[in-house]
Amino acid sequence: MKHYEVEPHATIAEIKNLFTKTHPQWYPARQSLRLDPKGKSLKDEDVLQKLPVGTTATLYFRDLGAQISWVTVFLTEYAGPLFIYLLFYFRVPFIYGHKYDFTSSRHTVVHLACICHSFHYIKRLLETLFVHRFSHGTMPLRNIFKNCTYYWGFAAWMAYYINHPLYTPPTYGAQQVKLALAIFVICQLGNFSIHMALRDLRPAGSKTRKIPYPTKNPFTWLFLLVSCPNYTYEVGSWIGFAIMTQCLPVALFSLVGFTQMTIWAKGKHRSYLKEFRDYPPLRMPIIPFLL
Amino acid sequence: MAAVAATAAAKGNGGGGGRAGAGDASGTRKKKGPGPLATAYLVIYNVVMTAGWLVIAVGLVRAYLAKGSYHSLYYSIEKPLKFFQTGALLEILHCAIGIVPSSVVLTSFQVMSRVFLIWAVTHSVKESEDSVLLFVIAWTITEIIRYSFYTFSLLNHLPYLIKWARYTLFIVLYPMGVSGELLTIYAALPFVRQAGLYSISLPNKYNFSFDYYAFLILIMISYIPIFPQLYFHMIHQRRKILSHTEEHKKFE
Repeated sequence: MKHYEVEPHATIAEIKNLFTKTHPQWYPARQSLRLDPKGKSLKDEDVLQKLPVGTTATLYFRDLGAQISWVTVFLTEYAGPLFIYLLFYFRVPFIYGHKYDFTSSRHTVVHLACICHSFHYIKRLLETLFVHRFSHGTMPLRNIFKNCTYYWGFAAWMAYYINHPLYTPPTYGAQQVKLALAIFVICQLGNFSIHMALRDLRPAGSKTRKIPYPTKNPFTWLFLLVSCPNYTYEVGSWIGFAIMTQCLPVALFSLVGFTQMTIWAKGKHRSYLKEFRDYPPLRMPIIPFLL
Repeated sequence: MAAVAATAAAKGNGGGGGRAGAGDASGTRKKKGPGPLATAYLVIYNVVMTAGWLVIAVGLVRAYLAKGSYHSLYYSIEKPLKFFQTGALLEILHCAIGIVPSSVVLTSFQVMSRVFLIWAVTHSVKESEDSVLLFVIAWTITEIIRYSFYTFSLLNHLPYLIKWARYTLFIVLYPMGVSGELLTIYAALPFVRQAGLYSISLPNKYNFSFDYYAFLILIMISYIPIFPQLYFHMIHQRRKILSHTEEHKKFE
């Protein structure tokens, strides 16, 4: 038990800093302070005198484990696929047979796929650096291993087949590729539009939450029908990529991603409903009218 | 300005979930069990499964006495084994709908690995059937005890002998079962390679390949990290549950 003397208007963030001084191994990001050992974590912005405490407040500490910043995780998990895919695209030695080292595919769609895949991850990296405004600073360290295994593993698996010397181009040829490319591009633009719209909802450095609404940008009109159109467009992009490459691992990756994003979308949708009484009733979490 | 003393009590526990107290034997927590209808169904289910595995046990003994050797005993119980082991898939459903408090993921993993061995190895590769007896015997004894354990637990009348058996016999049966499983997979390997069983190679229009032979080898390798963890978890459970009962007996 440690005792600290603070002003009544002290915030939880300030108390966390005091705690770190006496327990240097537990930096603020890994502290969870709560009024009840089994209760919810208090927010950094919470002010002591606004909490249900008397002249003495007893706070319970839980160690959240080593933390890593969201930005670091995102950059690492996205840089991997970008780099790994290119290893397969350029047929770096020891992946395919030696006679194929540094050779190039004769199929146009393979080159196109590399451009699309690379564009997608470059876009993600740039958005992480310049667009997104994160609610949380950090996440548990173990997440980076889990997330990187997922992204890097799937990237390698997909890239292996698409860039394979025995790759079979799509059954319906150029028509299929053109259609798929159109879907991909539209969904990439859509996804970016949503990210920008969400960014504009929240001023820099703040953690405010507001209901997102359609803007002048037609891509944002999907907000009329879904809570998380960014996920909708993301699934769309990968479906486009799957059709373009006609590659089963890509379809499986899309399916797994869709499952995860649906879980996230449902959670976000539920939070919106709980927080805002006037939330538009027509909206579904991720798929218009359906899911 | 009144100074406010804030007291911070350190209660760190390594960032894990705070799961206080002993995990119960069959995983049932004192809070809320299944309703009466679900309990009745589960009792029936566990009785049927106990009976099924007893049939397999009896079948094995009779076939041995009749033939006088271990050879081809598998065929005498092949059908009930497939039926009752596959039936265990229902247990995943039980967890999913919440009438059994175990984790869906853990149960799926356990049941699917059994079903995989029965169908994707033993059934699919006839030549692997010679090594099968070791794990069949281990599973049979284990399951008879396990299902009767659940039956009695549901009826709130668990004889100590059954509890003891469940948490002790695994010490021998678990390694025995694992050995049998590994030997069976190993025996199947050359035939899988030769026949290209369940494998697909490039080129094909889905741009996908799968090598079942390599997959089976990966499965065998995965036993190395997984088996010790599960085994020592059971040892840990044994210490907790059997010593807990001892203490209760002392105070009677």
